[in-house]
Amino acid sequence: MNKRLKTFITILAGVTGISVAQPALADGDVVCGGGPRENWSSLREVRRAAWLERWEIIDVRIEGDCYEVYARTEQGHAIEAFFHPVTLEKLVVFRRGREIFRRQGFTG
Amino acid sequence: MGAGVTGMAAWRIVLWIVLSIPAGLMIRALASGEALAMDLYHPSGELALRLMLLAMLVGPLIDIFRPNRFLRGWLAVRRNLGVAAFGYALLHLAFYVLDMRALAAMLDELSLPSIWTGWLSFVAMLAAASVSNDWAMRRLGRRWKRIQQAVYAAFVLAAIHWWLLDRNPVPALIHLAPLLVVWTARLTVNGRRKLNTKDVHP
Repeated sequence: MNKRLKTFITILAGVTGISVAQPALADGDVVCGGGPRENWSSLREVRRAAWLERWEIIDVRIEGDCYEVYARTEQGHAIEAFFHPVTLEKLVVFRRGREIFRRQGFTG
Repeated sequence: MGAGVTGMAAWRIVLWIVLSIPAGLMIRALASGEALAMDLYHPSGELALRLMLLAMLVGPLIDIFRPNRFLRGWLAVRRNLGVAAFGYALLHLAFYVLDMRALAAMLDELSLPSIWTGWLSFVAMLAAASVSNDWAMRRLGRRWKRIQQAVYAAFVLAAIHWWLLDRNPVPALIHLAPLLVVWTARLTVNGRRKLNTKDVHP
C-alpha cells in the first residue's frame, strides 16, 4: 500500500473515530452565569415564571448553568427559553434555532 | 449459487434486525414515557444521517481501493443502508408530527429555514428511496442514477437543518467530513491512475 493511501486511511480512521465518539453536543451552549446550584431557584419557581408568560410548558430542564424551558406560546409556536436560575429572568428564547428574544445586554 | 443466495438472504435478515433495534428502543422510550417525542428528534435524525453517510461512502471507497471482500460486502448492503436511512427519517418526521400535534402548527413554522431544510431533505430522500428497488432500476435505466443522486442534496440539506436547529455547526460538519475526505482521495487517486496509464502507453 502506498504512502498516500496510508495517510488517507489514518485520516479516515480519525474522522470516523471522532464522529462516533462525538457526544450529543448540548445545543448552542447558552451561558447564563447561574453560579452554585445551592443558590438556584426551585423548578417550581421556573415553571411559575414560564406560566406567567402564558406558555404551555412541555418540559423544564437544567442545561449547563441555565434553566431551559420547552414550551408552546399562545400562538402555538414551539420554543426553547433560557432562564437565569437564580433571578429567573428570561434571558433568551429560540424558536427552532432562531433567536426570537434576548434580554437587553445579555451576551451568554 | 443457491446456497450463496440463501446465505446472503440470512445476512440481510440479521442486518435488518440490527438496523431496527435503535428504532425499537426509541419507540419503547416514547411509549413508556421515558422520553418525549422532542427528545427523539436528535437520535432519529442523527441515525438517518449516519446511515445515509454509510451508504454514500462505499462507492468512492471502492473507486479508491478497488473492490475487496469487505467493500464488496458493504456494497451489497448499500441499498439496505439507504432504505434504513429513509426509515429513520420517516420516524424522525413521525416524532415531529407527534410533538407538534396540529397540522396548522407545522405549516406555521414551515417558513423557518431550520424547518424547510428538513422537509426538503426528506423529499429528496423520498425520491431516492422510492426508486430503490430492482424494478425501478430496470425501468428507469439511466434516469435511475440521476434520481439516486438526490441523496447528495438530502445529505447537505439535512446537515444544514441540524446546524440551524443546534445553533452549532460542529456536529453537522463532523458528519460531512468523511465524505469530503473520500471525495478528495478519489480525485487524487484517479488523477494518479491517469498519469500512470499515460506512462505505460505514451
